[in-house]
Amino acid sequence: MKISVASDTLRLKNLQRAIPGTVSYAALIVYGLLSVYPFLWMISSSLKSSSEVLSSQSLIPAQFRFDVIVSVWNELGFWKYFTNSMIVTAAVVLGVVVVYSLAGYGFARTSFWGRDFFFLCFLGLLLVPGVTVLIPLVQLLRALGLTGHGASQMSTYTGLVLPMINGAGPLAIFLFRNYFARMPQELHDAARVDGCTEWGIYWRIFLPLALPVIATIAIMNFIASWNTYVWPSIVINNDDWFTLPLKLKDLDLQTVIQWNVRMAGSLITTIPIIIAFLLLQRYYVRGVTSGALKG
Amino acid sequence: MAQTSLRAGQVTTPPQIQLVRKKYRRTLRDVLKANSGFLFIVPAIIIFLIFGLYTVIYSVVLSFFRWNGFGGFSILPPSCQYPACQFAGLENYQEFLYKNPTASAFFWQGLGNNLIMMVAVTVGTVVIALPLAVALNRAVRGQAFLRLVMMLPMVTAGIAIYYVWTFIYNSDGLLNAALKLAGLGVLQAQAGWLGDPSRALGALILVMIWGGVPMTVLLYLAGLQTISKDLYEAAALDGASALQKLRLIIWPLLRPVTVIVVILTINSTLQQSYEMVYLMTNGGPAGHTSVVGLQIFNYGFGDQRQLGIASAMAWLLFIGVFGLALLNLRVFRSKD
Repeated sequence: MKISVASDTLRLKNLQRAIPGTVSYAALIVYGLLSVYPFLWMISSSLKSSSEVLSSQSLIPAQFRFDVIVSVWNELGFWKYFTNSMIVTAAVVLGVVVVYSLAGYGFARTSFWGRDFFFLCFLGLLLVPGVTVLIPLVQLLRALGLTGHGASQMSTYTGLVLPMINGAGPLAIFLFRNYFARMPQELHDAARVDGCTEWGIYWRIFLPLALPVIATIAIMNFIASWNTYVWPSIVINNDDWFTLPLKLKDLDLQTVIQWNVRMAGSLITTIPIIIAFLLLQRYYVRGVTSGALKG
Repeated sequence: MAQTSLRAGQVTTPPQIQLVRKKYRRTLRDVLKANSGFLFIVPAIIIFLIFGLYTVIYSVVLSFFRWNGFGGFSILPPSCQYPACQFAGLENYQEFLYKNPTASAFFWQGLGNNLIMMVAVTVGTVVIALPLAVALNRAVRGQAFLRLVMMLPMVTAGIAIYYVWTFIYNSDGLLNAALKLAGLGVLQAQAGWLGDPSRALGALILVMIWGGVPMTVLLYLAGLQTISKDLYEAAALDGASALQKLRLIIWPLLRPVTVIVVILTINSTLQQSYEMVYLMTNGGPAGHTSVVGLQIFNYGFGDQRQLGIASAMAWLLFIGVFGLALLNLRVFRSKD
């Protein structure tokens, strides 16, 4: 008797627990669908024919046609713009990680005259809207010969990338500094006793241990610079040097928009970020949460 | 010989001074050594001086001049040649704030849209993301997978995903079709959601919330995992309902996360929204989705360039962002 009462209350308790559990799973699944649906819609639309893409609301195409994706990739020369985007993105990511891991280490682990003042200067830059300095940047690049008619692809990209690195600076410094500052002082002292220079401590000990924050900053900047449109559209004035988003905008200039072509272009543009994201998301989750919460 | 010795005599310094010099030299080296950490920030400082500080000063100075962008104006060396460039004082600011009726009406409309975006996106993101984070925190099975799926929109703040949404909002797009299917055909936007003056802004706000929720869920989830289980158990013993737990435990303890979320959202709605607006509606229909950033961009790079006005507007935007950030921190500090 007693046992059955106990199991009844247990069952009731389980039920009480199970209901909110089911509700939360339902909410998560519904929102999960909302999150991925636009992506699925993009893929499905790029597999449809020009007429089907406008008439059918089915996620599964009547006929899987890969010809649109293939022709967008080949005929419009996406490979070239893909490479251009890769060069620009890699340069930004590498620049940000190298320059600001150094600076973050300097701010967190060394002391010098005016250190806190300089740090405040960088943080202040965080609040300056990017659009504020677009005009001066363009004038500056023109004066330096890094954009305009005389500029080569190399110098155009230099002029494109350096301000992007600068724009990513404040947040990167902030995250690197927080991360380095939280590492144990014993690590620093032990290396010192063993005769390691400050540079050696940075390069051999602290930097290899900063992999999570490096991954976070790398993927943040990968996403941002891969997707950026306005700034490259101002600086790059040769079609051959376009990045993928610029080419995507130019993809179809017909009066009637061909949505399957646009969706195919969008798909090709997003796939590299999704792959990079899937590879690094574990680090990203850890880095974002720890860096932001303890800052 | 005599001359040489004389010269030698002149050069030789008394031993005491030599000692002092030696000491001084050593302290100088010490000073250099003590400050050698500065070398770590040299690359960052160089980039900052050229692309940060210089451009900021340039932009501030330019906001007091009238300039159409062709020759005439420079900071190093300072020059402003009439007629392309002209000193204007505060006129640039006055022009779009109240003097020019068309420009000022447009500016205030844009600022209003910015503020609506800011409030709606902040509230929308928090209201959606917090319950999702609570749900995700309880979900033991499949948490990693669900989290990954929900994070997907984070990777695509770009033209590709704006195209997808433009397509969905199209007059014969997915949203209208879904409404018809659900028997809500009356709610369809005949000219497409982005072409409808009363709905375009809302449609853009939805995309921003969709893009902002993942990061917010992530931040809240991390915050929730720091809350001790004992607190929930104590609340359960006292008979607290789920809503009470949310209001009395979770919300106050997650306040620091909320502050970060609010700052991030202010930043994205006031500063970064213009790129999305530019690519999705370009401010239309008839200015109903225009934002200040887009107006700055058009003054700076559009058909009729007024670079001084663009800079003046940009600095007003900066002051707004700065003020809101300070206010936010202050509210946070006083309650913490």
